[in-house]
Amino acid sequence: MVPIKIALTKGRTEEQVLPILEASGIDCQGLRNKRRRLIFKEDPRYEIILVKGPDVLTYLNSGAVQVGIVGSDILAEQRNSQYAMLDLSVGKCRFVLASTEAFDPHQQRRKIIATKYPNITKDYFQRIGEDVEIVKIEGSVELAPLVGLADAIVDIVETGNTLRENNLRIYAKLMQVNTKLVVNRLALKQFRPQLRVLMTNLQRADAKFAAMNLIDSYAK
Amino acid sequence: MKNKNLPNGTRDELGVQAEAKEVVENQLFQSFRRRGFRKLTTPVLEYQDVFKPLNQNHYRPYQLLDDQGETLVLRPDLTLPVARVMSTTGIELPVKWYYGGDVFRLKKQLSGSYNQLTQAGVEIVGYGGMKADWECLTVALSGCHELNIQSVVVELSQATFVDTVMAQLPLPSPTKVTLKTALYAKDLSRYNHLWAPLKGSEYAPFLSEWPWLFGNFDDILALVNTLPKAPRITKLVDQLTATRSFIAQQFPRVDTTLDLSVPSPQAYYTGMTFRGFTASSADYLFSGGRYDDLLTNFQKVPVAAVGVAFDIDALVQRQPLRKPDAPVLIYFENDQWPQAEQLLAGLPNATLCLVDNQAAAEALAASSGSQLIDLTKSR
Repeated sequence: MVPIKIALTKGRTEEQVLPILEASGIDCQGLRNKRRRLIFKEDPRYEIILVKGPDVLTYLNSGAVQVGIVGSDILAEQRNSQYAMLDLSVGKCRFVLASTEAFDPHQQRRKIIATKYPNITKDYFQRIGEDVEIVKIEGSVELAPLVGLADAIVDIVETGNTLRENNLRIYAKLMQVNTKLVVNRLALKQFRPQLRVLMTNLQRADAKFAAMNLIDSYAK
Repeated sequence: MKNKNLPNGTRDELGVQAEAKEVVENQLFQSFRRRGFRKLTTPVLEYQDVFKPLNQNHYRPYQLLDDQGETLVLRPDLTLPVARVMSTTGIELPVKWYYGGDVFRLKKQLSGSYNQLTQAGVEIVGYGGMKADWECLTVALSGCHELNIQSVVVELSQATFVDTVMAQLPLPSPTKVTLKTALYAKDLSRYNHLWAPLKGSEYAPFLSEWPWLFGNFDDILALVNTLPKAPRITKLVDQLTATRSFIAQQFPRVDTTLDLSVPSPQAYYTGMTFRGFTASSADYLFSGGRYDDLLTNFQKVPVAAVGVAFDIDALVQRQPLRKPDAPVLIYFENDQWPQAEQLLAGLPNATLCLVDNQAAAEALAASSGSQLIDLTKSR
C-alpha cells in the first residue's frame, strides 16, 4: 500500500502534535530522535516530512503530500483552498490588535498597522470598515509601535507575556488560532479509506489529550 | 533588452514535451470531429463581464484595459465564451461544438503553479435529455481510452443534491447555511457541532456520514436510502444510477464512484456533474456536467447545455515521453536539392543538413550523434 505523505510544521507545532500522533497509533520513534533528518518512514503506513509552516500548503497544493498539519493562522493568511478537516486541541492562541498605552483606536486618521499577516489584517479592518496602511514585518513585530514604525500591530498572542514585557496592551481580539489537519482535495478521493482511519484515530487521540489538558488546568 | 526572463507562472515547451501536447490535442480533436462536433474558436481576449458567473477566488484573471477604458481579461475559462457566442449569434439549436486552447488564471506567486493551462472539450447545446450527458461522458472516457490512460475513475455528482437535502432538514435557515459551508469545506469539527441537534432523529444516520459521502457507489446510495423518502431526491438518485449502468455497459473497465458532499462546480450547473482521475494523477483529467443556466448570464431564456473539458496538461503528464532519436542528416550541394528532397520524403527521421561544406556536415553529425548521408560522395 502506498504510504500517506504528511507535511508536519516543524518546531512548536511538531512538538505539540507528536504526542497526539503517537497516541493515534503512528510510530514516531524517528521524529523523537530525528537529528537532522527531514523524512521519517518508521511507520510503513505514513511518510512524515518536516517543513516550515508557510510551506505546508505549497507541498499540499502540488499534490507532493496528501496531508498537512499547520496552524490556522497560516491557512487564513495563504487563503487555503484545500480541506481543513480537523481542529486539533493544540497550538491555541489568538490574533490581537495591540499597541502602546498612547494609541487611540478611535483617532480619525489613516493608521499604520505592522504585521506578519497582511491578509488577515486587511480582512479585519475591511470588516470593521476602516482603511489602514499595512506594513509587512517578518519578525519581532512588537517593536514597530515602540520605535514609531507603526501605530499598532496585528499579531498572534498565546499568553500575552511578550506584549506585557514590551509595555503593549491589547485593543481588540481578532480570530482564534489552532492547529489544523488539512487534506488535499483530490487525495481525499484517492486515499479515502486510509485517510478516514487516520482522521478517526487522530480525533480519538486528540479528544483524550484535550480532556487530560482540561483536568490539568482544573488541578492547577 | 533588460528583462529576458519569463513572467512567473509561465513556461516554454520545447521538443518532445511540446510534441506530446500536440499529439494529445490532435487525437482528441480527431475524436471530436469523428463524433460530428464542429470547431468553435474564440479569442483569448474577452470583456471581463463574460466571466462574471465564475467564482473569482478560483479564477483570478489577468486584466487590461482597451482604448475605451473597458476592462478586458485573458480568458480564464473556455465554456463561458461558448455561451457568449450562442447568445449573440442566433445559431440554430441543437448544436455540438468542440474547442481547444489556453486559459489564463493568476495563481499564488512562486508556488510552482502555472498560470497558463491548456484545455480541450465539447459543448452540447439544446439537448435536454440524459443522452447529451451520456455523450459527454462517452467523449471523456473514449478520449482517455484512446490516449491509453488506464484505471480511470469517474466520479459522478449532482449539482442540486445538497440543497435538496438541506431543504428537508428541520434546522433553522442560518444553521443550514453554516452547516452547508462546513460540509463543503469538510470542516469535520464544525460540521459535527452544527448537526448535533439532530442526533437521534431519522436524519442522523445520513448526517453523521455526509462529509464522507463520496466513494463506493453502492455504499453511498445505501446511506442516501436512509433519508426519509422524497420524490425530488429519488429522481436525482435515479439519474445517477442510470448513468452508472450506462458507464458499466459502455466502459466495463471504468470504475464509477459517487460524491454527494461537494458544491456545484459553478453557480450555473443545474444537473449531473462528473470528473475523471486516476490513482496517481495530481489533477483531475476531465470535468464536466449539465449547466442549463449557462446562458442566463447573457439572455433571459435558459437553454439546455452540457459539456466536458479535458485538462490537456494533466493528460500529457500521463503519456510516456519518448526519447527523440538522433536525426539522419542529409548533406548535399545546391544542385542536388531535388535528390535531397526525394530522400527526405522516404526517411521518417531525416532532416536536411544546411551547412555549406562537407567538413562542417561531418562535424555536425559527430556532435549530434547523427548518421550522415552525404549525397556529394555519389557524384
